[in-house]
Amino acid sequence: MSALTRRRLLGQGALVVAFSLSRRAMAQVAEKRPALPGDLDKFPLLDSWIRIDADGHITVFTGKAELGQGLKTALIQVAADELAVPPASIELVTADTAHTPDEGVTAGSHSMQDSGTAILNAAANVRVLLTEAAAWRWLVAVEQVELHDGAAHAPNGDSLGYGELATLLSLHVEAKPDVARREKGVRLIGTDLPRIDILAKVSGGAAYVQDMRLPGMVHARVVRPPGYGAELIACDASAVEKMPGVVKVVREGKFVGVVAKTEWAAIKAARALKVTWSKPTTELPANAEELYAYLKSTKPMRSQKVVEKGNVDSTLAQAKKSYSRPYRWPLQLHGMIGPSCAIADVKSDKATIWCGTQGPFRSRKNIATLLKLPEKDVRVIYYEGSGSYGRLATEDAGEDARDVARALIGTAQYDKSRDERKRSR
Amino acid sequence: MITLTVNGVSHQVDATPDTPLLYALRNDLALNGAKFGCGLGQCGACTVLVDDKPAFSCLLPIAALAERKVRTIESLGTREKPGALPAAFEAEQAAQCGYCIAGMIMRAQALLERNIRPTEAELRAHMAPNLCRCGTHMRILRAVRRAATAMGGGVRNDAEDAL
Repeated sequence: MSALTRRRLLGQGALVVAFSLSRRAMAQVAEKRPALPGDLDKFPLLDSWIRIDADGHITVFTGKAELGQGLKTALIQVAADELAVPPASIELVTADTAHTPDEGVTAGSHSMQDSGTAILNAAANVRVLLTEAAAWRWLVAVEQVELHDGAAHAPNGDSLGYGELATLLSLHVEAKPDVARREKGVRLIGTDLPRIDILAKVSGGAAYVQDMRLPGMVHARVVRPPGYGAELIACDASAVEKMPGVVKVVREGKFVGVVAKTEWAAIKAARALKVTWSKPTTELPANAEELYAYLKSTKPMRSQKVVEKGNVDSTLAQAKKSYSRPYRWPLQLHGMIGPSCAIADVKSDKATIWCGTQGPFRSRKNIATLLKLPEKDVRVIYYEGSGSYGRLATEDAGEDARDVARALIGTAQYDKSRDERKRSR
Repeated sequence: MITLTVNGVSHQVDATPDTPLLYALRNDLALNGAKFGCGLGQCGACTVLVDDKPAFSCLLPIAALAERKVRTIESLGTREKPGALPAAFEAEQAAQCGYCIAGMIMRAQALLERNIRPTEAELRAHMAPNLCRCGTHMRILRAVRRAATAMGGGVRNDAEDAL
């Protein structure tokens, strides 16, 4: 039994909490639950991953995010394959702190390993439960029940939809380990499934957080310091606040931002705002060669041993030939094609943030801390941005939007300009 | 109020004359196709057609567009009935994050309207201003070739040899 999480506490009610606690206490003295595959081990309850409504609608949940790697399609493919349903009948909910398991950061090619494996095995468990429910209903052996196309089928031709079967059972149960994969029928895994998100992206459909337009939304731009360690000395907002369309100049500590009714007015206001900064304590060199020399001169914050195997020194000493080469990793590797963008809807007692963060739960923690709100009152919803590439593993547009929206108590779309993005690294 | 002709429809836009076309398209007309990438005319994510030629909408003030015809990817068909290029991009699955794709398609549209039988070298030279951060280039080129064929032409294999 994994630790009792907030998600389970919130979602499952008091009875389940008592149950979970007692199981946890028992687990300390008695047997340890066998490990479950992927993130199913962290979230063993089947309904953390799969829900089936009475009308047969299937929802699959993942804590991972679509970054353009095709994750949504792949996870739907996995779930549909194991549940023996057409892929179009599955609705996938991706990283959303209000609804999905906390699967950490979407990074390191871990999504299929962690989430795909969890969904596959959760689906196999659900399939077994559906089969058993149908067998019980028809009083036949489970071997005589076949599942395909969203229904269980009996040897005599009777059939029962998954929705009807779902009303006979609870998916609020822990997954069993080693449930066998589906053996019979048409398979989806191993086939080329077209990505579900491409059509919208090639036809001007809404596909990115930049495409979200909320009623009453205003636009913001952050005015950045010229470098690390620069302090805000003065900010003369008087002229900018008189500019057409400008709603407010936000100043909190050394955070400076402008808010306007239109995006272009916000950009112009940010450019026009007179801000005086102190000299940065650290000036990064302007060109790449000097940058490497500079990086080598700094003290690493931490070092990490990736592999420790054998004896490097003695092996090298015995080598017939040895080579010495420096290898450098370009610093701009994580850059996106466009700036990141976030929308924040902040009320006095709760906040909702839409952004392209690769770690929505981590973003929620940061945002909640700075808003001085409990995490449960902050919701972070992943929404695709202008690529991601690891840059959004440390997404800060959400936090900027929060700062702006907090000052307004309202909804702000914050879209960094390229220049700001460079400086914020 | 400024009059803008977008996708064959005349719109009155309540924006200042210095507003770049991109913001008028995205915010005033709620068209999602053109994207803000670099804001400097260096990436092509904002590419639209102005009088049949590809243009960086992030740099063009709307005051400069009085009588000119603007076309965006929304003019090339719908999700249900995609035009030749969007359909070819879907068929070739020519997108990863997809943020650059609307700009890519509009640039390709300009080429195929002018010359339905470009050589591979012409195709590559024409597409060069638009960047893809994900590395989808080979699929993007395949999609444009497919669309050229679907439109009754085709990309000619020249000495440079299509990979």
